[in-house]
Amino acid sequence: MDALISYLVNVISLGGTYALLALGLAVVFSVLGLINFAHGELMTLTGYVLLAGILTGQQFWVAVLIAVLACGLAAVLMEFAAFRPVRNASGATLLMTSFAVSMLLQVLFQNGISARGQAIPVPPWLTTSISIGNSQISKVQVMSITIGILALIALKIFFDRSYWGWAIRAAADDFEVVGLMGIKASRLISFAFLLSGLLAGIAGVLWVVQRGSVDPLMGFKPVLAAFIVAVIGGLGSLTGAVAGGFILSAIEIALQTWLPAGVMPYRDAITYTVVVIILSFFPNGIFGKRDQEKV
Amino acid sequence: MNRKTGPLKVSKTIAGLSVIMLLAACSSGASDAGSTEEAAAPAAGEACIVKVGVAGGQTGGLAYADVPHLEGFELWAEQVNANGGIDGKFTIETIVKDSRSDITQSATVAAELLAQGISILITSADADPTIAAGALAQAEGVTAVSWFGSAPIVQLAAGDHVFSNAFGDNTQAKVLADHATEMGYQNAYTLGSPDSSYTKMLPVYFGEAFEANGGKVVGAGSFSMGQASFSVIVDEIKALSPAPDVIMTPAYEPDFPTFIKALRGAGITAAVLGTDGIDSPTTLALADIAEGVTYTTPGVLKNEGVMGTFFTDYNAKYGKDPETIYAVTGYELGLTLEAVVTQAQSCDADAIWKAWANLEGAQGITGKISYKGGDGMAIREIALIEIKNSERSLIGTFSPDPATVPKAQL
Repeated sequence: MDALISYLVNVISLGGTYALLALGLAVVFSVLGLINFAHGELMTLTGYVLLAGILTGQQFWVAVLIAVLACGLAAVLMEFAAFRPVRNASGATLLMTSFAVSMLLQVLFQNGISARGQAIPVPPWLTTSISIGNSQISKVQVMSITIGILALIALKIFFDRSYWGWAIRAAADDFEVVGLMGIKASRLISFAFLLSGLLAGIAGVLWVVQRGSVDPLMGFKPVLAAFIVAVIGGLGSLTGAVAGGFILSAIEIALQTWLPAGVMPYRDAITYTVVVIILSFFPNGIFGKRDQEKV
Repeated sequence: MNRKTGPLKVSKTIAGLSVIMLLAACSSGASDAGSTEEAAAPAAGEACIVKVGVAGGQTGGLAYADVPHLEGFELWAEQVNANGGIDGKFTIETIVKDSRSDITQSATVAAELLAQGISILITSADADPTIAAGALAQAEGVTAVSWFGSAPIVQLAAGDHVFSNAFGDNTQAKVLADHATEMGYQNAYTLGSPDSSYTKMLPVYFGEAFEANGGKVVGAGSFSMGQASFSVIVDEIKALSPAPDVIMTPAYEPDFPTFIKALRGAGITAAVLGTDGIDSPTTLALADIAEGVTYTTPGVLKNEGVMGTFFTDYNAKYGKDPETIYAVTGYELGLTLEAVVTQAQSCDADAIWKAWANLEGAQGITGKISYKGGDGMAIREIALIEIKNSERSLIGTFSPDPATVPKAQL
């Protein structure tokens, strides 16, 4: 029973972060057809802004808020400076641009801040744990789960009830039709980047608080995981991004929990093998749109 | 210290080896071209320029270690040249190329440096790119030295011209195991990662030495570098019976902070032993969480004594204090080169190699450094440090009897 509780807590905690990350990617993909690999660097930026906020004496939650807003703003600026000039170029050009932005930001972080990781001084109360039955759960995980669930609920309300939420959902189905309905493409894309940046900011806070440090290359692993999550769920599918997050998390945690010690070094390889098996049954992702062929 | 960037390791290594073979062919051609230069090289004892090629990670995952090493080395080179060179006649010319912390790129830039007729090649603080670049240096008869790659396999894998400025992982694991035994710990848990030689083999060496001392390894966990969470591993440790009284891991940034936070957050109070990779301000900044963590490192980074002079000089050049011991060990690699060239009285690559392989008792900042009989690894004292009140506190310095140190494994 304790093992099951621990498993569920770990899956929800990690899955929520993955879902937020993948949603950030999916929102931009919906409107621009771009997988933004610089999304991870937005997370890294959040970590550095959070650190700066804490070191300049801001309250922890104030620093968190500033970091998330800064990330949203940075995403809008990224779109304006890097992606807008090549918006009508091919998918390959957009992809290369996102890699270039990612590399540029990494080098800027390394040379402008430090090549070494920087510790994030979180409040002492976050370093303890609470008991559920015989299981102990760290407060960082509790925070991660709470924020993750609240963010997902807020997103659900946003997508269901707001004008821009409808616009992004519609764009995910057919971007051209959204344009024909009078919504300006530039504003929609900027808004999608803002939302993507805010999601990267929330995920970034959860990531660095759990990890305890921020470093220039921190964004690579999470963006890779988010990409896989988005593919599992179906590229461009917002529901799929959430589902994919929890599926990947469930696979990773299950393997980490129950794989025999001798096989453990192959955990990542097994995880990705399972992902390939899932994709062999759902080539467009679980919630992806099927390719339509006209006869 | 070694660092690998995780899941791409195997493919990178294969790609790297392919490129190495290609580059070896190219660089041997370069060697022919340089043979005229060799023929015209100054005779022993005559003034000449020691061309030092640096194939280190100025960017990427190894920059955190390679950059401070280079800073320390360049400080040394500047001081030496200001005094007219080593022994007043052998000036230093440093040529730096960025390997981007990538194995294939390390081999590429090493080939370019070798084609420029360097006297010695310096490589990243990691065994894997060192082996890739060192194999090329070996083929050219040029000495290659890693900034601080501590996997004791560089000569086994690349040949007798390849060295490391670091003590071996088997030796630092022995120091940790002896400390654990002395503290009365009986049951150990080890946590490693298959992603690099460093993180893979250190727990193995530790377990071997600890069990030879009479202790027992009750569990061995595995993590992926950069993984999101250590909660499952912590749950596994909590479930162990008997519970470990000591946990040893070579995890470093950013994994070590994540692990120790999860461990202490779950209420596990077992002692934690780490290795040189965690000797950084990031660990000290963990405050109470890192209290009592004990680890091995080349020396105590403190602004006092001989190291105080280094602090003053470093600050004068860079306008900041050194953040990690790597700046010191970079400077020490310069001091080692100084002792080698003084002995060789030459800039010739072969003369430098012979002197390097037989070097004994070169004076560094943290202590004496030798290479003779070290199988390519520096024979130097290992400092054991405990974190107390967020500061480094020296437990002692150790030089284990080589006969008791676990044998190096590929």
